[in-house]
Amino acid sequence: MFQACRPSDSGAQRGLVQGSRTPTRIGFAITRYWGPGSGSPQPPTRPAGCKAAEGPNTSRTRGQQTLAAALSAARRPLTPRRLRRRKRGGGPAGPGRGRERHGGGGGRGAPGRAVRARVGLERGQGSLRYCCRHGLARTVVTPPYDMDDWKPSPLIKPFGARKKRSWYLTWKYKLTNQRALRRFCQTGAVLFLLVTVIVNIKLILDTRRAISEASEDLEPEQDYDEALGRLEPPRRRGSGPRRVLDVEVYSSRSKVYVAVDGTTVLEDEAQEQGRGIHVIVLNQATGHVMAKRVFDTYSPHEDEAMVLFLNMVAPGRVLICTVKDEGSFHLKDTAKALLRSLGSQAGPALGWRDTWAFVGRKGGPVLGEKHSKSPALSSWGDPVLLKTDVPLSSAEEAECHWADTELNRRRRRFCSKVEGYGSVCSCKDPTPIEFSPDPLPDNKVLNVPVAVIAGNRPNYLYRMLRSLLSAQGVSPQMITVFIDGYYEEPMDVVALFGLRGIQHTPISIKNARVSQHYKASLTATFNLFPEAKFAVVLEEDLDIAVDFFSFLSQSIHLLEEDDSLYCISAWNDQGYEHTAEDPALLYRVETMPGLGWVLRKSLYKEELEPKWPTPEKLWDWDMWMRMPEQRRGRECIIPDVSRSYHFGIVGLNMNGYFHEAYFKKHKFNTVPGVQLRNVDSLKKDAYEVEVHRLLSEAEVLDHSKNPCEDSFLPDTEGHTYVAFIRMEKDDDFTTWTQLAKCLRIWDLDVRGNHRGLWRLFRKKNHFLVVGVPASPYSMKKPPSITPIFLESPPKEEGGPGAAEQT
Amino acid sequence: MSRISKNVILVVLTLTSSAFLLFQLYYYKHYLSAKNGSGLSKSKGSRIGFDGMQWRAVKKFIMLTSSQNVPVFLIDPLILELINKNFEQVKNTSHASSTSECKVFCVPRDFTTFALQYQLWKNEEGWFWIAENMGFQCLKIESKDPRLDWIDSLSGTEIPLHYICKLASHAIHLVVFHERSGNYLWHGHLRLKGHVDRKFVPFRKLQFGRYPGAFDRPELQQITVDGLDVLIPKDPVHFLEEIPHSRFIECRYKEARAFFQQYLDDNTVEAMTFQKRAKELLQLAAKTLKKLGVRFWLSSGTCLGWFRQCSIIPYSKDVDLGIFIQDYKSDIISAFQDAGLPLKHKFGKVEDSLELSFQGKDDVKLDIFFFYEETDHMWNGGTQAKTGKKFKYLFPKFTLCWTEFVDTKFRVPCETVEYIEANYGKTWKIPVKTWDWKRSPPNVQPNGVWPVSEWDEVIQLY
Repeated sequence: MFQACRPSDSGAQRGLVQGSRTPTRIGFAITRYWGPGSGSPQPPTRPAGCKAAEGPNTSRTRGQQTLAAALSAARRPLTPRRLRRRKRGGGPAGPGRGRERHGGGGGRGAPGRAVRARVGLERGQGSLRYCCRHGLARTVVTPPYDMDDWKPSPLIKPFGARKKRSWYLTWKYKLTNQRALRRFCQTGAVLFLLVTVIVNIKLILDTRRAISEASEDLEPEQDYDEALGRLEPPRRRGSGPRRVLDVEVYSSRSKVYVAVDGTTVLEDEAQEQGRGIHVIVLNQATGHVMAKRVFDTYSPHEDEAMVLFLNMVAPGRVLICTVKDEGSFHLKDTAKALLRSLGSQAGPALGWRDTWAFVGRKGGPVLGEKHSKSPALSSWGDPVLLKTDVPLSSAEEAECHWADTELNRRRRRFCSKVEGYGSVCSCKDPTPIEFSPDPLPDNKVLNVPVAVIAGNRPNYLYRMLRSLLSAQGVSPQMITVFIDGYYEEPMDVVALFGLRGIQHTPISIKNARVSQHYKASLTATFNLFPEAKFAVVLEEDLDIAVDFFSFLSQSIHLLEEDDSLYCISAWNDQGYEHTAEDPALLYRVETMPGLGWVLRKSLYKEELEPKWPTPEKLWDWDMWMRMPEQRRGRECIIPDVSRSYHFGIVGLNMNGYFHEAYFKKHKFNTVPGVQLRNVDSLKKDAYEVEVHRLLSEAEVLDHSKNPCEDSFLPDTEGHTYVAFIRMEKDDDFTTWTQLAKCLRIWDLDVRGNHRGLWRLFRKKNHFLVVGVPASPYSMKKPPSITPIFLESPPKEEGGPGAAEQT
Repeated sequence: MSRISKNVILVVLTLTSSAFLLFQLYYYKHYLSAKNGSGLSKSKGSRIGFDGMQWRAVKKFIMLTSSQNVPVFLIDPLILELINKNFEQVKNTSHASSTSECKVFCVPRDFTTFALQYQLWKNEEGWFWIAENMGFQCLKIESKDPRLDWIDSLSGTEIPLHYICKLASHAIHLVVFHERSGNYLWHGHLRLKGHVDRKFVPFRKLQFGRYPGAFDRPELQQITVDGLDVLIPKDPVHFLEEIPHSRFIECRYKEARAFFQQYLDDNTVEAMTFQKRAKELLQLAAKTLKKLGVRFWLSSGTCLGWFRQCSIIPYSKDVDLGIFIQDYKSDIISAFQDAGLPLKHKFGKVEDSLELSFQGKDDVKLDIFFFYEETDHMWNGGTQAKTGKKFKYLFPKFTLCWTEFVDTKFRVPCETVEYIEANYGKTWKIPVKTWDWKRSPPNVQPNGVWPVSEWDEVIQLY
């Protein structure tokens, strides 16, 4: 274990004894003690003399390595750090780092201490060698202290001491006159001692920590020799020369562009598009574009979205804003105050048709701003071109210091690429990305694949996946996200949650593109899960209820047992806040609502896939699926209270007004673990029995009243009422459409009917509507009652287009 | 005075230094004993001979997988064979292994092979880190998902195919099985990408991964071998038999797409109906023959359809299978009859030119040709019912591989191009709708005439 200077000098005890007398030796013993037990001796041919302050490279390196080995052995169980190193190894700097860790080098954080300790040791070793050699060459250079001061240490064995003294004194007297030399060595000794003490403290601390960690470690079998691999990669030596980004921002009436280092990252000169404030977020360390948004602050509420977005951007990011056309009309005070807080001068004072370009750091200095006022109401400000340099900061500053776990690794990857996802990237207390919802007992849909159909709406996808992964009984490995197009950001979102993502080359255009995407996704789903009998189909703009899978688990056997079923859907087209009540209640309907539904594999493989509309047919897949040729009289099961919520606004077929009117007020179940009532009564024949029972006990409403009046239904609770409306043929929905309109439910086409019967809730009463005489339930109409007839208003402008919702 | 104080300082420092040294010694001793102590007690506790590198690596791997709930099972042919040999012993004396020395897992070898069904793997990413943390050096081999290959417009997350985790000199090879349509398990080809260290392990000695492979989904059982609890296939003999014939060939989707670009798919109702019926017939035939344990492969037009366009040729009027005559079983006919496929005609006899035809539902015929092996070639026979003329179709020798066709696992000749070129010539890529089985194939030879006396036996029409 101990190794003295000379090869022959090998006794540990002797090393100790000598060491205790000559401080130099102590140090040496300490140092070598940390070396390997079988460490090779110093080359005996080394030149003697005090000037040999450092050993030759070879011996140094060896000492370093063995020391490194010892150190790393002591620190073996530092798991998270190893993990981080692994991850970094995967990065571009990988191989280099790998090499570095063998060679030793700096560390970061706690490991840094160990490394410093080692450096200290090296130094100690060097100076020690210097004196030791000196001592050996001339036996002892000079007495470091008077013998009178000598206090025998309990450690020292008297025998060794006595023997040494005479030997020592001889030399002392011989050399008294070499004062300079003696002084030199004395100072050296003092210095060395100091260093030794420091080194010792370090080593003790390290050893101690290693012991405590080793005892905590659950894996005691640490006998593999990977010691060298344990060293941390060195801290990056600064961030190299501080780089600078050259940013150009252009703002004008008809064109905006932003170029970073000569690369155009935004260019918009399309007419009648892209009006408002364009915002780009750059990573302050890499210069990569992390988010690109446009807020049409000419229109109402867009400034609120902008405030929301800007608040979510992490501090330190580089913000670029530029106005196209007009960006001030609905830029309210809150937004202006926010711009002011960013340091902008012109932003808060932005006027009608002004042009404005801004570059600044969030929470930091403004890096450039240009503004041109519009001279008159009818004209625009002059185009402005802002050229500025943006200094890049180091990567470490740009990153948060989250604990090193697998989840945080995903988070870090995500957060270094994109912005605008709120607290998921917050350094302090980030929002979780793993949800461990309660498992469902007896989950029948655990092995049913879930296909999420997505486009390029990553924020929606993020929201959707959060709710999906929070639903009870979800199994993440069954989820596949199909992205229509090679968009990166949705893939980043998918990777953040650790899910499987598949990109699909867009085929065809418009609705046909969506159709083709659906087809590819469904086929791929059944290929990936060949054992699956069903697939759950979701879209990226849905919230998923907490009991979504519970709902499916309780009802999926119907799809197996009842051939007259087409699908199970989580969405009730007519389930608005004021028309849905009972989360335990299910209906059979002739329409296919979509928006979170279950598809039977046999239906898809045998009927739908071979006939699926080809790319040149510009059909909506869902409209196509609702066509009688496909549906063939089969029905879907839906809940009274929807298990999905359609939050999408900016879709292919939607506009804001449309969404507001038809989707916003939809009821959405938030109660976990709802037990569905009497599920088997949803089977074909049982359902007829159920409907007949309902109609028999239903109270017939006063048909003389105006059905559009609120008083049409009495102010009771828990009753069942029935009304009869005129419906001449199976496809005569004139009265129903008008009734739906005044009930403020879906009236753009017919939804939610079952053989001429509609079921919904009004004022907490179950409300049945029967179409007479087309419905087979017409026979329940008392002869005295005349069916209600409502005329459709003269056609003027019609609603906001045909029903195009999915 | 200055000298005295200096010396005092020196002494003080020396003492401090010694004190620290003692502390250090104390701690280091403590540390060493803590470290060795556990190791020591462990090796003491275990049996003699249980310190082989192989055993330790396997033990560690099993610890890792069981703690992470990764349901791996042992598929190493060497080990399975040993286990199989000792099977009775292991079974009879369930704790025999605890007394006897390490027999199975200490056998010198470079690898131990495990397998895993991918869809049962919950925490793949996390597992990887934990493995590395436990001291395994792991190599992950990924590839794109062949199940998405048929649509060129899809590109997705790569799937893991193999993990090789090295602990000191021993490596664990984890083969990732993926589920495929047709209720079988598939594993991928172990292809090293450019940057991979080729000397990481002796890759050539790997038992799996030289080719992609297909296996029946094995039932598993838990056994204890050499003090380790492992899952192995319930029928290790069957699994071992599968290994040498497990090579899998993917359909050539890319070429098939190119074919359809050139010749356009037939989307008429008749074509699709025929394809659907032929598919059902093929699946029924596969099921029936599998039950009998008879090896068979896609032959003639069906094979061409698979190879050229990954689908059934819509204008072919029947479905063709090949069977080696040594695999012939007399109950084939009755088995097909029981499956609802009556015999339509039977030509030849077992010794010569046997050919069976079964009448499928809806007018689709199933032809089974029996292949005879000669020293340098294979052949099957044909008979003209009217004249009693015999024909011989020659093929170069071939072996059998698995593939997936119409959502089912089928065998095909591994040397498919040679097989198809023998039967259809170099121009097989061009669709030909009029085909005379007696004249068109380039490999047909007249083979004499059946003697009239044998006609009753060798030409049976129903």
